[in-house]
Amino acid sequence: MAERRLHKVLSAVVKIKPGEEVLAILVFFYFFLITAPFGIVKSLRDANFLDDLSAKNLPYAYLSAILIAVAVSFHAKLQSRISRRRLLLSTLVFCILTSLLFWALFSMRDHWKGLALIYWMWANLFVVALTTQFWFLVNDVFNPREAKRLIGFFGSGGILGGVAGNLLPGFLAKPDTSHRLLLVSSAFLCVCLVVVSVIFSWLKTNEDRYAASSDRDPKAGRKEPRHVGLGDSFRSVWSDTYLRLMAWVVLATGIVSTFIDWQSKSLIEQNPAAKLNYASFFGRFNAGILVFAFLFQLVLTSRFINRFGIRTGLMIYPVIILLCSVGLGIFPASLALAIAIKGNDKALSYSINQSSRELLYIPVLREMKYRAKVFIDMFLNRFSKAVGGVILLGLIYLAQRRPFAAIGFKPIVWVSFASGAFVLVWIVLNVKISRAYIKEVKGQLAKKWERADGVVADRMDVDTAKLVVDAIETRTQSSTLFALHLYDLARQNKLTPEIRDLLGLKPADAPASSVRPLFEYDAAPWLPDLDDRLPPAEMDKEIREILALESYQKVIGDYAGKVIESKEAESETAKMELAKAIGLMDARSTLADKLDDLLGDDSAKVFQYGAESAGKLKKKSHVPLLARKLGDPRTCEDARSALERYRGTIAGALSDYLNDVDEKPEIREQAASLLAGIADQEAADALLEALGRGQDVLKNGLIDALDRIRSEVPEVQFKGEVVRAQFTAEIETLGPVKSPSDLLPPFKLLGLVYDHEDIFRAYQNLLKGTKDSIAYTIELLDQTVSQDIKERLFPLLESFSGRRGGDSEG
Amino acid sequence: MMINKREKNSIVIFDIEGEIRRSDITDVTLHQLVKEQLEAGKKQILLNFDKVEFIDSFGVGEILASYISTHNLGGQLKLARISKKLYLVFQITMLTKVLDIHNEEDSALQSFFKD
Repeated sequence: MAERRLHKVLSAVVKIKPGEEVLAILVFFYFFLITAPFGIVKSLRDANFLDDLSAKNLPYAYLSAILIAVAVSFHAKLQSRISRRRLLLSTLVFCILTSLLFWALFSMRDHWKGLALIYWMWANLFVVALTTQFWFLVNDVFNPREAKRLIGFFGSGGILGGVAGNLLPGFLAKPDTSHRLLLVSSAFLCVCLVVVSVIFSWLKTNEDRYAASSDRDPKAGRKEPRHVGLGDSFRSVWSDTYLRLMAWVVLATGIVSTFIDWQSKSLIEQNPAAKLNYASFFGRFNAGILVFAFLFQLVLTSRFINRFGIRTGLMIYPVIILLCSVGLGIFPASLALAIAIKGNDKALSYSINQSSRELLYIPVLREMKYRAKVFIDMFLNRFSKAVGGVILLGLIYLAQRRPFAAIGFKPIVWVSFASGAFVLVWIVLNVKISRAYIKEVKGQLAKKWERADGVVADRMDVDTAKLVVDAIETRTQSSTLFALHLYDLARQNKLTPEIRDLLGLKPADAPASSVRPLFEYDAAPWLPDLDDRLPPAEMDKEIREILALESYQKVIGDYAGKVIESKEAESETAKMELAKAIGLMDARSTLADKLDDLLGDDSAKVFQYGAESAGKLKKKSHVPLLARKLGDPRTCEDARSALERYRGTIAGALSDYLNDVDEKPEIREQAASLLAGIADQEAADALLEALGRGQDVLKNGLIDALDRIRSEVPEVQFKGEVVRAQFTAEIETLGPVKSPSDLLPPFKLLGLVYDHEDIFRAYQNLLKGTKDSIAYTIELLDQTVSQDIKERLFPLLESFSGRRGGDSEG
Repeated sequence: MMINKREKNSIVIFDIEGEIRRSDITDVTLHQLVKEQLEAGKKQILLNFDKVEFIDSFGVGEILASYISTHNLGGQLKLARISKKLYLVFQITMLTKVLDIHNEEDSALQSFFKD
């Protein structure tokens, strides 16, 4: 009951699923309770530094970030040696104790000025360590779709904590006693200790809910026997293209952020009002930024990312910074602009940018993720400040030297220009990484199976198999037919030693009982010596010349006339022989005309051979005779095989059959399937046109035919508007999804206009995948299909995968 | 190619030797020889292929032409002792349905009297 109420309350602000409430609230408070101290610690950091050491020494403070490397390396070793739970808790204890230590040191009158620098370094480490550990936990516990849904909620907890933490110095800090707020910071961390302990207890209790995914370790609190030093972490990142890109983005972001920090603090230092109580000023200023960030995060971040995707989420921040940098370059003395740029830098960094960046980690495998975060989030995030500091020192130095000094720009302007340049690089990197993100998501989705018709075509020689079986069957029925089959095999270079042996077998030697009925007769067949003096190629030539002889046409023509007219049962074999032999002749020969009668024969076996020959001769006049037989199950397959051999020459005729509503449905369906086999643009257009006419009876056959073309011939184009209209119609008639096959037609339609491989990978993993692969699938679709399609498709996926236990929010 | 004629019980037997190919056309072809016999009133003709090493489509054409000529005059033309290869060719081209082919000369000769 309480959970239901909690769910109702939370649903008002975040898309939360039943069962998630407790963990979501705990994580929210965890983030709140670490970011509140940040507000205090950072306000004091900036205040103490400006008070004791001034803004001109800030670049040296940024350089001190290099020392973070030592601390990060130590943290990485710890991470690999102790459990997650122990690491998080011990880090919190360390932070509490050191906060108290600094309180004590700052309490001393005439404390050493250098303490401000040491405190600066400690404050940065404090923030980095606690933030990184928080995101480790989030990545451990939530799958991609859950994370995407809830990240706004967690992030807002962090921002709210920051607001509260900054308001404390904002309103309570006094110039000489602001350090007392470190006691409050310690108190927040003590409560956080309790919350983190409760989270791990809850995870342990609800282990099964999170054990479905193979990519998630439900026992996240257990010690893992891996050693990841900073060096290992760096090598892991550097060896992976995707992670390397992320590293470059973080570096560029950090450098720009450092420039902005220096610019804003340089201008703030000159402001008399701020000078009176830096701690209070920074507290209120940071609180104001965070209120904006909080509102953005809570209300807009998740919706924005879901609506516009990760790429847009990554772009907002650098684009706004670019505009502000240009502004500051033009108005370098503007405190308002300085505050604006700093404000945007922090607000957007904490909200949409941080959320988007964390989402970028989602397709990275867990082991690699930990290695990467050690280097990227803990080390590089800080190291980029050091790099920024070095560049700043360089820019400030150059600004005061010729020829730059002669231009008359203040250092702050040069820094704006440099900032703009780095932002442009950053934007390019964001474009690259957003593309790489989709590729990484796809990499998590294995294709489960291929289209069967392609597999059969690739792996089996169906025609030869049929020919061999027919040959065996006719061994004692008709030596003429048997000879014709052997000749056919030999002409196609398929009379291999194995097949020759098979054809020469006696019944008792048949390899399998299923084949044995074909060898029922005791008489051993005569197998001519085809490798005698006359090689098959020449024999073929001779036979063709014989067939072309006028005398031959006359002699056999007379014979054929008698056979065709005969109604006796015994004439069936003779007709089969004749039908088979006609396939060897020229299409223009007089005997070829006899095939018409044979194609109309009632005997399915006579038709079989007639169709086979018609497929070889490819006379247009035979098409209607063959098509007529598509509706008869006895003859359908043979008619199909023959018509397939016509290829694109009969696309028009097949379209006519397809569109003839008076024609039998079976024939129209086969016509669609044959057009799919032709698989050229004309065939695709004909099929799509038929689909567009609303052929309900044939609809699934048409969609399947189109899908087949798409899978076999990617170059064929399909009219997007027709496909989308069909997709909409399909979805509207679908209703609640009852079985997986219900989803197949809409997915096949999507595959016509989007990357076929991606769409099918998505479908297959939706049906067969684990909970996580379903989530990756929906993430892939989210990044691939247009918004209008998402709006139609995702509710269906939600109803389907929800029953399967997936997380399918769109 | 060489063609020798003999008779047995009023059946004309042509013993054909060598290769029957278009490039080896002699002055007198098989068809011409058969026509001569037909014109002489002989209506039963047996072609013996025992010593034929090779036959091409020209040769088959000659056989067919001979068959037609014989058949049109109400006569009978049969073949004996053709090679397996040639028999296969005849089977593939369905000539076995039209031409009366025997493994041995004796059975071929006897069949003239049974028909």
